[in-house]
Amino acid sequence: MPASFTSFYFLCFYTFILLIYYLIPRKTQWVFLLFASAAFYLLTGNGLLILYPAAACLTAYGAVRVMAGTEDVKKRRWALAAALLLLIGALVVLKYINFGIYTINAAAFLCGAQGEMIGVFDFLVPLGISFYTFSILGYIVDVYNGIAKPQKNFFKTALYGMYFPSILSGPILRYREDGEQFFEPHPFGYRQVTFGLQRMVWGFFKTLVISERMNIVVNTVYDNYTAYPGSYIWIATICFAFQLYTNFSGSMDIVLGMSQTFGIRLPENFETPFFSKNISEYWRRWHISLGVWMKEYVFYPLLRTNMFMELGKKLRKKFGKKRGKQLTTFLAMLILWFTVGIWHGGDWKFVIGSGLLHWFYIVSGELLAPFFRKCMEKLSIDAKSKWVDGFRVLRTFFLVNIGFVFFRAASTTDACRMLASAVGVWNVGDLLRGGIFTLGLDVIETVIAIVSLLLLLAVSLLHQKGSVRERIEKKPVLFRFALWYALLFYIILLGHYGPDYSAAEFIYQGF
Amino acid sequence: MTREEVFETLNGVFQDVFDDESIVVKEETTADDIEDWDSLEHINLIAAVEQEFGIKFSMGQVVAMKNVGEMADIIMGQIKD
Repeated sequence: MPASFTSFYFLCFYTFILLIYYLIPRKTQWVFLLFASAAFYLLTGNGLLILYPAAACLTAYGAVRVMAGTEDVKKRRWALAAALLLLIGALVVLKYINFGIYTINAAAFLCGAQGEMIGVFDFLVPLGISFYTFSILGYIVDVYNGIAKPQKNFFKTALYGMYFPSILSGPILRYREDGEQFFEPHPFGYRQVTFGLQRMVWGFFKTLVISERMNIVVNTVYDNYTAYPGSYIWIATICFAFQLYTNFSGSMDIVLGMSQTFGIRLPENFETPFFSKNISEYWRRWHISLGVWMKEYVFYPLLRTNMFMELGKKLRKKFGKKRGKQLTTFLAMLILWFTVGIWHGGDWKFVIGSGLLHWFYIVSGELLAPFFRKCMEKLSIDAKSKWVDGFRVLRTFFLVNIGFVFFRAASTTDACRMLASAVGVWNVGDLLRGGIFTLGLDVIETVIAIVSLLLLLAVSLLHQKGSVRERIEKKPVLFRFALWYALLFYIILLGHYGPDYSAAEFIYQGF
Repeated sequence: MTREEVFETLNGVFQDVFDDESIVVKEETTADDIEDWDSLEHINLIAAVEQEFGIKFSMGQVVAMKNVGEMADIIMGQIKD
């Protein structure tokens, strides 16, 4: 079975699980979900790699039991340190050791060394390692801090760590908020199951109809960018922004919808991020569970270390209260954004595109804010007008897209070359004279893509005013059925799928 | 220290941290009520409160406290000890 929620085999697997889930005694539902999760991980070709998440859960279980059994601060701290070392150690070795080696080799090459200093390792990395490791780490730290209840049952810990809808691509879970519901009995509820299924259908629409089409344009240009300079790079990058968004948020719709059919609510990961007016807001609306995790387990603890406290005092003394405070947070944010970047993958293109570049945006935004305010006053522009808001949304989208060039390009060097070409070559005319139809989508396919994107936009706008599904629910029965069937047929007719067709993998799945 | 006194002191700390003398904190005041109270300022606020009262919040309390009332509860608890 391919590790994709859109594959036919997965849907058969899911249907089977859902049926059995509501037929067995409710007290055993969680045990069944644990079996299903283990089966899912084994069936998706991971085989023995299942030992990694299992070991991570065992580590969490052991550490938490030690913490629960003692009041001794030292012992608790040792248990925490040992668990963090094991979990982060496994993540670093499996995911980042080659990044370190590449960086050392590149530095040595720049210093004049011949050949590779150190050979790279070839590890099989368990799927979803970044997601399950973070969910488990958060749980252990919360128990240490006394805000999560320590779980007494190893198998329950294992279900939390390996729950199949979320293990491959998140959302990153929080035990203190999401944990207990996994083990409660869940009676069948018509509304919850239909709502869940509807959300899954919407997820399929995003991934199979939009993302897969965008993928074609993106691949054409990014795999051969020298042949597609200037405005082609712009268009492909915008397509990539929508590909990544529909792919990742669509997979979240499937994951959250699927989970809802089991009666389990998972945290939201997206809140129409492309409507954000600045970069900070964007990160509160894009991959929310990662942002929340980073804030709670990296940024806050970092700012509360003695080193940062002392530094803050010194900087405030030297530069005054306001500037001093600002400089301290900028420094802590540098570490935060490096971590966010590297979480996406052990490669400088991620460190820059999804990390440091965003740090630069936020810092320069903060520093230039007074200047922009003055400019607006001088030009007597109303900062609260809708036009200014619209401009801010477009500006944020543009800045985010520059980061996406790094994210999608094969390497940092390629990304820089592409950006240079995007700025340096002026060929919008070519694109408009039919060049746009040479990127893999013919006229009809392009129209389908645009109509589907407009549909997504309309639903996203409606979503700003509350749940769309709830509003549909209030409509007459005939209208509701017509609407959902229309969407289903739209996907069946126009989605890129089929038994022999392998949808592009969920992009975030490799993380 | 009475609860009123704790709130009075807290008020001063809030005014100082957010540079706004018009702030009056109540039991139910949350981050949504004060414009600059974002995640960055939250940590600065915590540090200032700790310094003022000579106490230490645990990391769990820092992330879990929901409003100023809860903050005052923790402060009262620690001063008594």
